[in-house]
Amino acid sequence: MKPFSKLGSLALVLILSLAAGCKKGQKNYTPLPGYSGTPGASSGLGKGQPILPAARPLTPDGSGANGADVAGVNNPDGPSGQPSREEIEGMLADREQFKANTVYFDYDKSVVKAEGKANLQSVAAYLKAHSDNKVAIEGHCDERGTEEYNRSLGERRALSARDALIGLGIGADRVVTRSFGEDKPAELGHDEAAWGKNRRGEFILLTPPPAGGLR
Amino acid sequence: MPRHPFIALLLTLGITLNASAAEVVVSDVTSRAVPIHLTGFSGDAKTVLEFDLYVAGFDLVAPAQAQYTVNGKSGAALEGVLADVNNKATLFNRSYPGGSSRAQAHALADDVVQAITGRKGVSRTKLVFKVQKDRISEVYASDFDGANPVQLTADANIVAAPAWRPGRKSLVYTSYRAGNADIYSQDLTTGSRKALVRFSGSNISPAPSPDGSKLAMILSKAGSPDLWVSDAEGGNPRRLTTTAADESSPCWSPDGSTLCVVSRESGFPQLYTVAASGGAMRRLTTAGVRNTTEPDWSPDGKWIAFTRSRGDYFDICIVPAAGGDAKVITEGEDPSWAPNSRTLVFARRTSKFGPRKLSLLDWPTGHVKDIAQVAGSSSQPSWSR
Repeated sequence: MKPFSKLGSLALVLILSLAAGCKKGQKNYTPLPGYSGTPGASSGLGKGQPILPAARPLTPDGSGANGADVAGVNNPDGPSGQPSREEIEGMLADREQFKANTVYFDYDKSVVKAEGKANLQSVAAYLKAHSDNKVAIEGHCDERGTEEYNRSLGERRALSARDALIGLGIGADRVVTRSFGEDKPAELGHDEAAWGKNRRGEFILLTPPPAGGLR
Repeated sequence: MPRHPFIALLLTLGITLNASAAEVVVSDVTSRAVPIHLTGFSGDAKTVLEFDLYVAGFDLVAPAQAQYTVNGKSGAALEGVLADVNNKATLFNRSYPGGSSRAQAHALADDVVQAITGRKGVSRTKLVFKVQKDRISEVYASDFDGANPVQLTADANIVAAPAWRPGRKSLVYTSYRAGNADIYSQDLTTGSRKALVRFSGSNISPAPSPDGSKLAMILSKAGSPDLWVSDAEGGNPRRLTTTAADESSPCWSPDGSTLCVVSRESGFPQLYTVAASGGAMRRLTTAGVRNTTEPDWSPDGKWIAFTRSRGDYFDICIVPAAGGDAKVITEGEDPSWAPNSRTLVFARRTSKFGPRKLSLLDWPTGHVKDIAQVAGSSSQPSWSR
């Protein structure tokens, strides 16, 4: 131990002892934020207080009291070449067309199960016959993983199904992916019968808006 | 100033504060709960003090077993006198005028923790979390004990992974309100919201860097769910992992130099670290446990808390930040550290596959206590630092 640090620490001990010293019977006052009384000096309790709004009424569309969202980063030209958000958001979603073509996955796996191959081929065939249509693939998981792990796993599953469609000749710019993790189970049970149905990839047909645009 | 007799002794002997501080941390982590007796409190003040001190590592005991006593009075202004029984010394005598009776009691609890352990109390910090009801989830904030919950979103959609930005005035989270998992920020003083990242594909698991200058997240725009780091507002995203497998749940080391992230590269989820400036992924050893997800780096840099999956069950585990033997602490998932690097908030099931609720864990003592719950299933807590 260096002499200086020893001296310094002794001085510090003295100072701290004085600062913390609290004689019996002598009362310190610690006013809380908003207190307007007089006794004692504030110990600076309000410092570093987290600031939260009171229960804030949100606008009906939920965008917050100050209205519309501000646009964020949106690069349509990611290396994977998914269609841009503007393109997708301008199309009509049909959840019925491919309802029978949902594909399934084994526990904690992201490879489409073999029996899903025919469904992938059906989706690919339809898209080939309707060249102005696109597809969104929504990946899902059962409840046996942690939440964000499942969100990434669901995306990996959707991407695997997307890769399969691309392998069947569908353009990369026609397939967009989403993941809902474990948040949107198809079945609510807590057994393999339900879990097997929840580990899935759903195909949503996207069609161009009717002439004159969406209303 | 620490008032634990052992520390006081070290200080009296003139041992440097640095040396003794190191001792404190080591003995702290392995020490038993501090026995304390409360007398004279009633109502909210009593409830709050008992909760706060229990989750701060104290045992509430009868006078004969107590090492410390807090003698107080609940009234317009809460009063409290902290005494060291063994040394027959009064450590403080304070009055807490103003605020709510809960706020007064939290202030007294923090003062007791500070006076006895030398640690800054966490009774006046906040939580944010996700609450799911039916198929809808929203972001909520509350006091650290679950009191005063505030609903922060009302989209009637799905949200995920809310996280504080430093300064406690702003959050980031994932919302599906535009039909896709996108990352938003929300200012808590004005309520205004901004879409930060919305590429095609998933934009999820946002994690602000400790200094607020960067945002780590998982993006699938390069063809696989990878770890990316952008500027605070989502600009200039840079890809840090390039595996074909999925990455998830990034968190930052407190100095901002390193990220810990989950990857399924080896076929099952494991923790990895990667330099924030880029470079190879390095597997973090968690000896004794596997299927590891949801890391959170302690603010003092020493520990990484995480979730271990056992199929149908989850456990909260802790490992030294450099890797090593993992300790299994208690059943639960998604831990988030308090600023004291000691208390954790986590989610646990009310029954097997039942709704989740939030609880606090003081891991050196193993004390666990549920916080006040919002109706629904609460998960993904983030502790303000």
